[in-house]
Amino acid sequence: MKVEDVVCPFCGCLCDDLVVEVENNRVTSVENGCTLANEKLMEDHRLKNPIRRERGSWKDVSYDAAIQETAEILLDADRPLLYGWSGTHGEAQSVGVHLAELLGAVIDNTSTVCHGPSILAIQEVGHPGCTLGQVKNRADVIVYWGANPIDAHPRHMSRYTTYADGFFVKDAFKERKVIVIDVRKTESSAVANEFVKVDQGGDYAVLSALRAIVRGKGDLIPVKVAGVTREQLFRVADICKNAKFGAIFFGLGLTMSPGKNKNIRNAIELTEELNRHTKFTISPMRGHWNVYGSNEVFTWISGYPYAVDFARGIAFYNPGETTSVDILRRGECDACLVVASDPGAHFPRACAEHLARIPTVQIDPHVNATTHLATLQIPVAVTGIDAEGTAYRMDGVPIRTRKLYEGTYPSDLEILGKIYARVKEAKGS
Amino acid sequence: MAFSFTYYLREFFRLEWLRKFLFVRTAPLAIPSYFRNFPELTGKTCTHHLFCMMACPAPGAIDVIRTPEGWHPRIHQGHCIRCGLCVEACPNGVLTSGRILETMFFDNTALSFSFRIDVDTERCMGCGNCAVACPVNKLIDPQMSHGGRASTDELLLKVSEGKCKVLHVEKCTGCKICEDHCPNEAISVARLLEAVHAPEEEP
Repeated sequence: MKVEDVVCPFCGCLCDDLVVEVENNRVTSVENGCTLANEKLMEDHRLKNPIRRERGSWKDVSYDAAIQETAEILLDADRPLLYGWSGTHGEAQSVGVHLAELLGAVIDNTSTVCHGPSILAIQEVGHPGCTLGQVKNRADVIVYWGANPIDAHPRHMSRYTTYADGFFVKDAFKERKVIVIDVRKTESSAVANEFVKVDQGGDYAVLSALRAIVRGKGDLIPVKVAGVTREQLFRVADICKNAKFGAIFFGLGLTMSPGKNKNIRNAIELTEELNRHTKFTISPMRGHWNVYGSNEVFTWISGYPYAVDFARGIAFYNPGETTSVDILRRGECDACLVVASDPGAHFPRACAEHLARIPTVQIDPHVNATTHLATLQIPVAVTGIDAEGTAYRMDGVPIRTRKLYEGTYPSDLEILGKIYARVKEAKGS
Repeated sequence: MAFSFTYYLREFFRLEWLRKFLFVRTAPLAIPSYFRNFPELTGKTCTHHLFCMMACPAPGAIDVIRTPEGWHPRIHQGHCIRCGLCVEACPNGVLTSGRILETMFFDNTALSFSFRIDVDTERCMGCGNCAVACPVNKLIDPQMSHGGRASTDELLLKVSEGKCKVLHVEKCTGCKICEDHCPNEAISVARLLEAVHAPEEEP
């Protein structure tokens, strides 16, 4: 069976033009998707049933027993942490936030180790962004700052920016100028018109220099700023100022390098300066396919995009204190529910060690690094393959992912719904 | 001294010498029609295949420019080495030089271009830059150039199973845009130029 217009549940691009063939509850071919989409949709290494760690080995358990045990672990804990959420759909995330409220738990999503600082900057100075459709149809200057879309979002350039013909940009890459700013040459810089190599940690200075030039204070600029020559800075500022419509996309190279949220604040303020000359927008390159959705869902329920602590009975948000890494590092957390993410692979060693010490339950279709720290793992359907749900693209556009076949696994929503029901029953509320 | 002076007088005032000096007849200083000079335009319509540029061995010797009247090739004489390959490679006889066109006609020979596209699937990320930028794809399926959705198998290139796949190599025009815009150096286009003796026309 051929399914058209399939939404890819891998990265924040959320490409919705895939053509997928399905036979006997398996995806047999993927058209139009990049190599990441292909691997994600064609994979066949799922965990068969829930497993529990018992005396150093894994024992199979039923879904019902696993759900009951998860509810008990969470009810027993004084300071539970519900982490992850970016790899599942909005409906499941919504249950997660309600579960956190009921438990008085901390709920955090992967932004905490990803675009968290970008969100802090956006909370300070706002977000002059736009949808990817606007970029495709209008932008004649594209800036990638600290991002390598070819590796992390392979179709970003061909589907939304550099190569896609738009309504006002008929001859895509011939009319568009692409500037890549990074600390090293990347695949993306190989196809850029201008590559700006910044010294490690020098992004803030380069952003400030560009702001000064755009402001007309170019005579203040020294011969070199963080490894970038004055001439190149003026050239880049000129390209940006002369654009009809420019779009800056920034990745973790800017967000997570020294300066963090202040880098992003400076980049947003550069965008603001450029808007005195032309139209310019700035957007983060979101990683997980629904990480933007987890920020949205958390925000509309609790008021905060990540690191929400319900211990006081109301939502409390203080990144640096209520963020997962800090809670785990302080050894504060005494039970953890990991949903649709892999902190074992991405958290600092001390945090991973603490996760291994406390009861950690993972809800994820695959065996990953967190499995090795967990006490219980419950496999679920993969949203976009055998479960459906709403996801938010990196530009904040909600897209409904589709179910390609009727699988045998329960969805995140079903499992979390049952856990929520048991917790609610036990709490008697 | 006296000897050499008279020697010179005797030598230069010979009647034969004077006749030769004053009434000498040399070959006319004209370029013969068969000389292979810098290529010139024949006035035929250029179809912008750019085979002349592809065949040219001298960097910067020829380009094809667009004027209000249409496309036409332009020879840069400082760079041209007058090899005549552009004249032979042109499928429309837009250029001429010496007897090249006549010789090709009588010998029934031609320079023929074909293209081969190789994709290194180890390096290819399936980003689709090549397939979206490809000008041939753009003419076949506008959806392709508007974001990489392949809706027909008539395309030259498309992304399938996460890798770039060549569907119709015979449609390739050898422009190498895919190669220039591949971030991983995964795709390469070979321009194969061969001299062929065209088959005799049937009576």
